[in-house]
Amino acid sequence: MRGQDPVIRVQELSKRFGDKVAVDRVAFDIDRSEVFGFLGPNGAGKTTTIKMLTTLLQPTSGRATILGHDLRTEGRKIRERIGVVQQQDSFDQGLNVETSLDIYGLIWDVPRPERKRRIGELIERLGMEEFRRKPTIDLSSGQRRRLQVAREFIHDMDLLFLDEPTVGLDPIVRRTLLDFFKERVRDGLTIFFTTHILEEAEYLCDRIAVINEGRIIDVDTPENLKRRFGSAKAVEFKLLQGSSAELAALLSSSEGVTRLVQEPSTGTYRVTTARPESVIPEIYRHAERLGVTVSSIYISETTLEDAFINLVTENHGAGVVSGGRAA
Amino acid sequence: MNIYLRLVYRNLRANLDRASLFFELIFPLFFIFVQGFGLNGIVPPFDIGNGKFVSYSLFLAAGAVTLTVINGGTNAGTQLWFDRKNGMFEQILMGPFTRAQYILSIIFATLIIGVAGSLLVFVFAFPVVGASFAFSLEGALLIAAALFFGTVFFGAFAITLSVALKSSETFQVVSTFAFFIFLFTSSVFFPASSAPSAIQAASLANPLTYTTDIFRAGLFSAATSTTSLELGVLAVEAAVMFVIAVLAFRRIRV
Ligand SMILES: Nc1ncnc2c1ncn2[C@@H]1O[C@H](COP(=O)(O)OP(=O)(O)O)[C@@H](O)[C@H]1O
Ligand SMILES: [Mg+2]
Repeated sequence: MRGQDPVIRVQELSKRFGDKVAVDRVAFDIDRSEVFGFLGPNGAGKTTTIKMLTTLLQPTSGRATILGHDLRTEGRKIRERIGVVQQQDSFDQGLNVETSLDIYGLIWDVPRPERKRRIGELIERLGMEEFRRKPTIDLSSGQRRRLQVAREFIHDMDLLFLDEPTVGLDPIVRRTLLDFFKERVRDGLTIFFTTHILEEAEYLCDRIAVINEGRIIDVDTPENLKRRFGSAKAVEFKLLQGSSAELAALLSSSEGVTRLVQEPSTGTYRVTTARPESVIPEIYRHAERLGVTVSSIYISETTLEDAFINLVTENHGAGVVSGGRAA
Repeated sequence: MNIYLRLVYRNLRANLDRASLFFELIFPLFFIFVQGFGLNGIVPPFDIGNGKFVSYSLFLAAGAVTLTVINGGTNAGTQLWFDRKNGMFEQILMGPFTRAQYILSIIFATLIIGVAGSLLVFVFAFPVVGASFAFSLEGALLIAAALFFGTVFFGAFAITLSVALKSSETFQVVSTFAFFIFLFTSSVFFPASSAPSAIQAASLANPLTYTTDIFRAGLFSAATSTTSLELGVLAVEAAVMFVIAVLAFRRIRV
C-alpha cells in the first residue's frame, strides 16, 4: 500500500554509548503490511535500533515517526499500538504458560472473553498444547520463545518488532513461526524483523537493510540484493582427507577470496569469491603441493549470504562475519 | 479496568514468592508466641509512655506486627528484581505504560502485602494483644499511618537496593543483612531507651523504631507528645526514601 504515510520513518537516528557509536545515522521508511528486515552480524546495532524505536532507549540524535507519532514526544501513543518480541528472554516466573498469557492480556486491557479466545487459538496455532500448563520457569528456551511470541498476539497491534525471534528454535518450529508471521502480515500487520540468519530474512522480508557496525550499508529486496551482488560466487569443495588446515590458511590469504568457512558436519569448504575461475585452479595447485586430494568441487548458486558477505567486507575490509564458522 | 489495578494484580500474581511470604508470616508469630511468653516470666511489665504499663509479651507482639512491615517492604525490591532478571521490566516498559505507573504499581503491591500481612499477623496475635487493645479513632489512625509510612520506607529502600545491586546473590544477602541491622537497632525487641548507647543513637535514625513506637502508641492508647514528632520524622524519612528510590529507578539502564 504505497502512497500512504509510512508506518515507520527514521531519519538520521544515532545512539552512542560513551565513545561507542552503536547506531550511526540510520534512515529508512517502512510501509504498511511490509516486512522489513535488519540483517547484520552480532554487535551491528540491531537491538539498539529496536530499543530506540520501541521508546526504551533515548536516541542520541536523529528523528523517527512511528505510526504517525513522534518518537521523542509521543512514546506512550506509540507503545499502545506496537508489539515487541525482545531478543532476551522475558517471562513471568511465578505463572504457567496459559496464566501468563492471560495476565499479559489483562495488563493490556484485553477483555476476558477475547483473551480466552486468542489464547486457545494461539496455543493451537503455535503448537504449545503439550506445555500449556507448565510453569514458565521450567520451559526450555525454545518453548519460552514461543510463549514470548504468542504473548504479543494476545493484544492488538499495528506494528510488531521481532528481535531475532527464532534463536534456539528447531527448524520445524521456526518455519511454523515464520509462516504465522506471514499470515498476519497478509492481514495488515507491519513487521520490523532483525536476524543474522540469511535464509530467514530471505523467506520473510520484503526489503532488507544490511547493517554493520551501526551503519546501514544497503537497503533492497532480497532478489535485488542477490542480483546486484551476484558477482559474489561461492566455490564449494571437499577433500578426500576431510580437512587441511594448511590448505585453508593458504586459500584464506589468497587474493580474491573474501571468506572461507568449513561446514563442520559435512566437511565441505565454502569459498566466497568474485573470481571463481581463478580460485578453482588455485585450490588444485595448493592441494597438489600439500598432497591432499580434492574429491569434489563446484560453483554454487549465489545466495543472499554471499551478497551479504560481499557487502559487509566491502564496507569493512577483510571481514570476519557471523553466520558461518571460519575454517 | 484501571491501569494501576491491572499492574498491581500482575505484580501480586507473577512476582510473589509464596514460600517467603509464608515465612514472613510465620517469623513474627514465632516471636509473639514463643519468645514473648518465654521472656514474660523474667521481664516485669514496664511503662511504654503515657503511664501505660504493658507486659513483655504484649510489647513484643506489637513489635512483631511491624516486623511484617519491613518484611513486606523487601518484596518491592524482589518484584523489581525478578522483573529485571526475567526481562519483564523492559517488556512492560515497551507496553502501554509509563515508568512511573510501573514503579507505583510495585509500591502499591508492596503496600498491600505490608499492610495486609501486618493485619493478618495482628489477627493471629489478637489472643495476646486483644485484651489490652482499646479501639479509638486516634489509635486506628496512628496504626494506619505507621503501617503506611513504614511500608513505603522499606519498599522504597528495597527498590533502591535492588537497583544498586544487580546480581541476585548480592541483593538477597545485602537485603537480609540490612533487615537485621534495622531490626536490632529498632524498638521491636526492647525499648530504645534500654539499649546500649550506640544502638540507642542508631535507633533514633531507624524508621522501624518510629514505625513500631507509633504502632504501639496507637494499639495501647499510649500516645504522648513525642508520638506526633515521631510520626513527622517517619513521614519525612519515607518521603525522602521514596524520592531516592524514584531517582534510582530512573537511572536503570536498559
Ligand atoms: N548499554 C550498552 N552500553 C554500552 N554498549 C552497548 C550497550 N548496548 C549495546 N552496546 C554496544 O552497541 C553495539 C550494538 O549492540 P546491539 O545493538 O546489541 O547489536 P546487535 O543486536 O546487532 O547484536 C555493540 O557493540 C554493543 O556492545
Ligand atoms: Mg541483538
